[in-house]
Amino acid sequence: MNLAIPTPRAPAQPPRPRVSGRAALIAGLLLLTLIGGAASVYRLFTGLGPTTALSDEVPWGIWIGFDFALIAFSGAAFTMAGLVYILQRESYRPAMRPAILFGLLGYIAVLVLLLLDLGRWDRFWSFFINWNVHSPLFEISWCIVLYSTVLMIEFSPQLFERLGKERPVRWVYRIVIPLVIAAVTLSSLHQSTLGTLYLNMPYRLHPLWYSPILSLLFFLSSIVAGLAVTLLIYPLACQIRGKPVAEGIPAGLARGAAWMLLLYALLRLGDMALAAELPALFALDRFSLLMWLELGLALAAMAIFFSRERERRGWQRVGALLALAHVLLNRFSATLFAQVAPEGASYFPHALEWLSTLGVLAAVALAWYLGVRMLSIFDSHSHAKFHH
Amino acid sequence: MSNAMLIDLTRCIGCRGCQAACKQWHDLPAESTRNLGSYQNPPKTSGKTWTLISFDEITVDGQLDWVFAKRQCMHCQHPACASACTVGALHKTADGPVAYDAAKCIGCRYCQYACPYDIPAYEWDQTLGLIGKCDFCVDRQAAGLEPACVKACPTEALVFGKRSDLLAEARRRLARTPHNYVQHIYGEHEAGGASMLYLSSVPFASLGFPTLAAEPATAYTELIMRQTPGIALGVAAGASAVYWIIRRRQMMQEQAAAPATVTTAESAEEVQS
Repeated sequence: MNLAIPTPRAPAQPPRPRVSGRAALIAGLLLLTLIGGAASVYRLFTGLGPTTALSDEVPWGIWIGFDFALIAFSGAAFTMAGLVYILQRESYRPAMRPAILFGLLGYIAVLVLLLLDLGRWDRFWSFFINWNVHSPLFEISWCIVLYSTVLMIEFSPQLFERLGKERPVRWVYRIVIPLVIAAVTLSSLHQSTLGTLYLNMPYRLHPLWYSPILSLLFFLSSIVAGLAVTLLIYPLACQIRGKPVAEGIPAGLARGAAWMLLLYALLRLGDMALAAELPALFALDRFSLLMWLELGLALAAMAIFFSRERERRGWQRVGALLALAHVLLNRFSATLFAQVAPEGASYFPHALEWLSTLGVLAAVALAWYLGVRMLSIFDSHSHAKFHH
Repeated sequence: MSNAMLIDLTRCIGCRGCQAACKQWHDLPAESTRNLGSYQNPPKTSGKTWTLISFDEITVDGQLDWVFAKRQCMHCQHPACASACTVGALHKTADGPVAYDAAKCIGCRYCQYACPYDIPAYEWDQTLGLIGKCDFCVDRQAAGLEPACVKACPTEALVFGKRSDLLAEARRRLARTPHNYVQHIYGEHEAGGASMLYLSSVPFASLGFPTLAAEPATAYTELIMRQTPGIALGVAAGASAVYWIIRRRQMMQEQAAAPATVTTAESAEEVQS
């Protein structure tokens, strides 16, 4: 299997170990994808009982946990598009397309994971015709479908340019501002509604997590996740394509993430203080320790991003990983760990849940890597071209 | 005023006639179960067992009481399950039942999280599973009949009627023989009130009934969800305004820095590069 072996373009590195390492990684991702795909098909045709550890006490597991985290991570797309087109920070344009590609793949993976989790996946389309405007999940479903469509259009120039088709690219750029406004609007709605989702569970979600401002917290943390994801994948895309990392982009993203994290942490702690929940934070039970872990990850990321170390690639990576670990853990807390489940509840994911989830995540990584290698991943259009 | 059920635990003899009648009327399958060391069987309500008599040995003031309690969907006045349901498969009918339209359901199981009583249950053993829960015999009610469980109850521990009438009857019983009851009509105010109203000789918390506020659990969610169109318009308008202001400021800066003709030439160069 030679097809996966790339020609390294970064001249400084010794070529041989890198090639084999990369080939092994691709082969590994492909294997995980295939196994996950098989596990997913098996699950769809056998039902949730035999293939998951879910129960009436714990009806949602790692599929939903990773799903909600992946939606936040895929916030990279609207964050970067908003930064470049609404806030018009042109200097960040080189990092936008890798983020949009990741966002599109992320949302496709989100849809696959949601489908796996649905008991009646055969009629997933039901929400198109059966409306319940009070339901957070109804709004989220619609937003995800509409936003995925917007993302496909936002993404399309990467493909059209590669195919040498100028005309559709021009069409997309002609409507790019309304398109990005739609992207930001749809994202603001469903990223925040993922927090609203928990507001009808005051008796299930632990008070340290339950808060009337959950919607705002989820929205802000999706921007943090979006910046952190871009901070990780933009230099990676540069490395894969053998291009230099544009001066100032990673440090600027880190600075933005630092301020977002500060706002987020202040809101979260302030909300706990106002709700007189600080004693619960010091109860040193399972929940308070979980909260300390969550807060610790966010505060550590913030400290790195505020310090001088944010200029250094290694620390940027550490900070981004800490921030993403925070968001991942936060979504898992809300869905699983901070849920006060009914008595007798226990959940440890079934092997099939692990395999299908890993498969979906591996597919995203693999597709993103191939996309970066093969598509027009760095935007050469200056804003001026289509707007002056 | 909608229909309701008064469940007087002091009158229940634990015969489980209601449990059997429910299974029969709804044609629900048997479950494989296990011995819990009591008469309670199966251990809990499920997608196949929509109502169940629980058997609890409760000691109050040194006195042992063997309490039989019928468990099923409470048919809330403001059902959180229906509010949460992605596709509106669950809905409160005018007659009182929280009915379930299986043809709409996508099996997302959000209702299981929203319900403060842990009632909606999923058919885990089905390839394409649905939700199962007591439907307050919505079909029998539509035909002018009382629910199957009420019909089967030999001791009038279950009474079917208008909610206002049953609340009055419950208050009458609490007043007439106060020593028989804790002074609490469970379901009158819990989570905004329910169609199932309970009287008991022991505190409801000792039976594992959740202690709930009078405010419906749906309050925050619906308050925020109602703002959705406004939030959408606000964000879209805000983003447009920010875009316009920054764009304008940049253009003005460009004009201030150099004559207009030079700016155009520069951008043309940029495109070519």
